[in-house]
Amino acid sequence: MKLKQLYVLLMRLAERFQMVQLVIIFLALFTDRKKSAIHHFRLALSINPLLWAAYEELCVLGAAKEATVVFSEAAALCIQNQYLHHGLPSPNLHMSSEDYNLVSSRNFGSEDVSPRKLKHTQGNNLRGIPGNHHGAVVLSGAASQPQNGGPSNMSFYNTPSPMASQLSGVAPPPLCRNMQPNGSNLNTVNTDGSPRSIVNSTIQAPRRKFVDEGKLRKISGRLFSDSGPRRSTRLTGDTGANTNANTAAVAGNGTNNSSKYLGSSKLSSVAPRTVTVRKGQSWVNENIEEGIRNEAFDDSCANVASTTSSSFSSDNVRSLDHDGATVLVGGVVVSGAKAVSGASEVLCLLRTLGEGYRLSCLYRCQDALDAYLRLPHRHYNTSWVLSQVGKAHFELVDYLEADLAFSLARQVSPYSLEGMDIYSTVLYHLKEDMKLSYLTQELISTDRLAPQSWCAMGNCYSLQKDHETALKIFHRAVRLNSRFAYAHTLSGHEYVALEDFENGIKSYQNALRIDSRHYNAWYGLGMIFFRQERFEFSEHHFGMALQINPCSSVIMSYLGTTLHALKKSEDAIKIMDRAILADRKNPLPMYQKANILMSLEKFDDALEVLEELKEYAPRESSVYALMGKIYKRRNMHEKAMLHFGIALDLKPSATDVATIKAAIEKLHVPDELEDNLSTE
Amino acid sequence: MATESSESEEEGKITGGNQHLIVEDDLREMGKKAAWSVSSCKTGNGVSSLRDDNLETYWQSDGAQPHLVNIQFQKKVKLQVVVLYVDFKLDESYTPSKISIRAGDGFHNLKEIKTVELVKPTGWVYLSLSGNDPRETFVNTFMLQIAVLSNHLNGRDTHVRQIKVYGPRPNPIPHQPFQFTSREFITYSTVR
Repeated sequence: MKLKQLYVLLMRLAERFQMVQLVIIFLALFTDRKKSAIHHFRLALSINPLLWAAYEELCVLGAAKEATVVFSEAAALCIQNQYLHHGLPSPNLHMSSEDYNLVSSRNFGSEDVSPRKLKHTQGNNLRGIPGNHHGAVVLSGAASQPQNGGPSNMSFYNTPSPMASQLSGVAPPPLCRNMQPNGSNLNTVNTDGSPRSIVNSTIQAPRRKFVDEGKLRKISGRLFSDSGPRRSTRLTGDTGANTNANTAAVAGNGTNNSSKYLGSSKLSSVAPRTVTVRKGQSWVNENIEEGIRNEAFDDSCANVASTTSSSFSSDNVRSLDHDGATVLVGGVVVSGAKAVSGASEVLCLLRTLGEGYRLSCLYRCQDALDAYLRLPHRHYNTSWVLSQVGKAHFELVDYLEADLAFSLARQVSPYSLEGMDIYSTVLYHLKEDMKLSYLTQELISTDRLAPQSWCAMGNCYSLQKDHETALKIFHRAVRLNSRFAYAHTLSGHEYVALEDFENGIKSYQNALRIDSRHYNAWYGLGMIFFRQERFEFSEHHFGMALQINPCSSVIMSYLGTTLHALKKSEDAIKIMDRAILADRKNPLPMYQKANILMSLEKFDDALEVLEELKEYAPRESSVYALMGKIYKRRNMHEKAMLHFGIALDLKPSATDVATIKAAIEKLHVPDELEDNLSTE
Repeated sequence: MATESSESEEEGKITGGNQHLIVEDDLREMGKKAAWSVSSCKTGNGVSSLRDDNLETYWQSDGAQPHLVNIQFQKKVKLQVVVLYVDFKLDESYTPSKISIRAGDGFHNLKEIKTVELVKPTGWVYLSLSGNDPRETFVNTFMLQIAVLSNHLNGRDTHVRQIKVYGPRPNPIPHQPFQFTSREFITYSTVR
């Protein structure tokens, strides 16, 4: 209802205001208009190629084009044009009237939220705002209105935006930095909203005051005088702000959409109310506040779209200082050429990152890893990239490598919550309960309101087999952010562990509603149906999961078992072989294959497979138990006895001990009779 | 697995008890899925006190012996251990002394599977339901009945503070003949 009206309104505004694209996207996703969302993301990207978040979301939706296409040289030119169009190179502080109109018209039409800020790493915490200076400018413009006098204006623009060199970003930059590129201004706008913004409260005060048109022009002119991409500085480990971000942070799922765009939509909804730039103070304040809040929200959410800002920082520092110097000297023209070169560098970086991210969303994880490896060293060693690398290893079921990558990421940026829920799952798989507890403690103390922290805690309890508590905690995570798909999936897993299949199905379906490419949820549903022996459903769901993640050998092996249960045994064997090839380290498909062969009575083949398996996992009791069973079927009693004995030595579970001992006792009883007698 | 009703399968004496409840990892509590009922109780000390994880509250019977605790499941479940918390120091003549455990499909065909005599117990008392035969590690049943046949010092009524029933964990991977034990297998066995 409201959303729909908003949607319609925004569609109308879309042609005029680029940033509105993003709001539409959010709404579209929210209302499940996936195609529309994809279309608008693409549009937004074509208008503004530096819009990383849009590209990221496209990746998550699985509809991204290759990074080289998107972040191409043409894009660089596009950016340059944008700059030129806004009288960028002009050193003068006075805006052309054209620009001014632009500003005013865009003022509240566009989403300020723009700032696709790039997450910074610990070392060089700069937030870049990939070229969305349009929106930012607008808002700055808007924000600038309430400015009081000249000096306050100056300070307004300077304080919140510590220069690139100011990594701590605490002290307000000196007045002379007025001439700084928009980045600073944007930063103003952005950081103001954030709880830990470095903006002094005094700076916020002047904002509320009005400024006259002349000043506005001046300010806007300054805004347009920038060359390189926007950037803003943030406090190192600015976790407070990250809090907001991380409540909406994406953990590989496109779940941050809601909060990210909610902010923007709020602002946009405010837009129509405003007519001119200079209407009453109250709504301006309100707008700005909202804008700020939204921006901060967006900003923080956009942190998800983190790229290695170190590169940015170095780029930016270089160009900025350079520009800064030139500007300080006296408003030397910032050439369009610089804009292009800056843009190209940025694009080059985005290309690699984008490619890596796209591939990892398509679960072509080995390729993704190769892509990331192409990054220069200093970019690779940033928390976002390392998290992505960790995630890629996780998808490849290479948990040790994933553990390494994630722990590096934590060293680099200990307060980042991105991808930490995946890390907790990695530790769960590795059964490292100590590490997992530590991780949980750290995450909770970093941010109590982030779903990732609670996911980690839930994993911790689940590892200790306390499924009820784990479930409660996952529910908490869901309550904190109901669009965090992974929390739903994890609740589903816990329900299954508690054998509550109905609720399990519901949870998985919730997860899928949020992110239909969440293959874990498809897998979970497949498993439930498999348990309930609804094999056709199970086959379908495993198939869907496999479609999304075609290289997961685990899913393949389960699909194989399902097919076998459906009596499609040849297909089953084929898939098992595929699974075995896909991941040589995975013993499961071989074991399942042996099982299938045994039930097909191809005992020799089964034994062959199992012999091979013995090499891989020499201390696995179930392998020997199965071999014993097969030998028993072949009436090779001594061998059976031997293997059963070994199986018992390897300390299987109590149920298996019972089964094996029973099997030993009945070694001389024909098999069918035994099966009837024993209860499974 | 069940023997004649007149004979008990095993007669043993149990003294003392553990202060802490320690159960093997591959067992899980099954009582949550069961319907619990008692033969009689005093107001305020009903069946819920048996399941509230609070050792201060207890069930007090209020009728003739034997006092019965009935645990009924919706489907046949495998049970391995029954654990009771009883304390002679606190309950003295209310402490159960002779306990008989019966299993069956319902009230009509319960058969005794274990009898035990407690001698001044002070804490968690473990009653294993397994037989000697490895095939009888578990009792596969719809219903379990714990009967308190007599108390210490010939008390009439009984106090039991907590009862827990344990069975094996199911195989996390369905339709699998054996459970995995080694880390390589377990790591690869599920997607989370």
